[in-house]
Amino acid sequence: MESTISLKTKGKGKGSKGASSSDDKSKFDIVKEWSNWSLKKAKVATHYGFIPLIIIIGMNSDPKPNLFQLLSPV
Amino acid sequence: MADLLPPLTAAQVDDKTKVDEKVDYSNLPSPVPYEELHREAFMSLKADNFEGLRFDFTKALNQKFSLSHSVMMGPTEVPSQSAETIKIPTAHYEFGANYFEPKLMLIGRVMTDGRLNARLKADLTDKLIVKANAQITNEPHLSHAMFNFDYMGSDYRAQLQLGNSALIGATYIQSVTNRLSLGGEVFWAGVPRKSGIGYAARYESDKMVATAQVASTGAVVMNYVQKISEKVSLATDFMFNYFSRDVTASVGYDYILRQSRVRGKIDSNGVASALVEERLSMGLNFLLSAELDHKKKDYKFGFGLTVG
Repeated sequence: MESTISLKTKGKGKGSKGASSSDDKSKFDIVKEWSNWSLKKAKVATHYGFIPLIIIIGMNSDPKPNLFQLLSPV
Repeated sequence: MADLLPPLTAAQVDDKTKVDEKVDYSNLPSPVPYEELHREAFMSLKADNFEGLRFDFTKALNQKFSLSHSVMMGPTEVPSQSAETIKIPTAHYEFGANYFEPKLMLIGRVMTDGRLNARLKADLTDKLIVKANAQITNEPHLSHAMFNFDYMGSDYRAQLQLGNSALIGATYIQSVTNRLSLGGEVFWAGVPRKSGIGYAARYESDKMVATAQVASTGAVVMNYVQKISEKVSLATDFMFNYFSRDVTASVGYDYILRQSRVRGKIDSNGVASALVEERLSMGLNFLLSAELDHKKKDYKFGFGLTVG
């Protein structure tokens, strides 16, 4: 029973070193996990959305170009 | 220092600083940004020679917004362990969008293989500029991003850089007199754990620019550019690394003529290169590039057309 509990805590805190004060350890790990998740989402959002963002900002600047000018090769 | 400027600005002096009768130290010009320290020398010595065909078409939709289409076909070098360079012919198309406003600049370029190159520059206040640069690929762990925060003071500039795999750097450059500016940089990289420090100095006048830069990674770079006339400037460069004992010296020229611009250089590694940009008509530029590496027997020739 005790050994399974200690295995579980080791699995939860991947980057942590020992099993001392669990409260600070899990806060830091939660922050790291959230920051990794948000960086991954930011990377995907930038990858797909940066050029459309520039196009949207550009099409709304004045004098406003029209859609035909955007798509035509001339 | 006999040819300093006359004391035109003596009336604007503030009480705290002592006024030298020839140079007004309280009103020095802002120095060149640290990463552009060598910019005049690199204009002739590090021209972008390419191999193959290059076609760039930029279409402006209005003053601020433009789209660009670029096609590049040619051999690209693949790093290899053996002494021979391996070249693989590739062709790609790159679509780009640019938005330029006085306070905000956005540039994005995406290639057919999904690689995005994004740059952003925003003036948060009139002294603080934030710049970001990212290369994002589909493959994991190969993307990187760098953020720079620049603060421009009256006669100094400071910059903080944050990079993707725990890279932190800071640079500072200060104008010491009207012509001399001194600066330094510090960086710390997390992944190969190393840190470095470097110093740089730049002396310029109307006709010449001389810079020197030393870094703790062992690199020493010194260059000198002389502007012979409005159309001609000559540059020379000397780089050596005191750990790996690599030395390179090069001499280059830059002729800016009415219809064309010719830049070339010759190197102590046996490399001679030249780049010609000729303006065929308004907005139409023809490029020719040649780079001959006699030591490695690698000859690269390229031609291209830039529209818009």
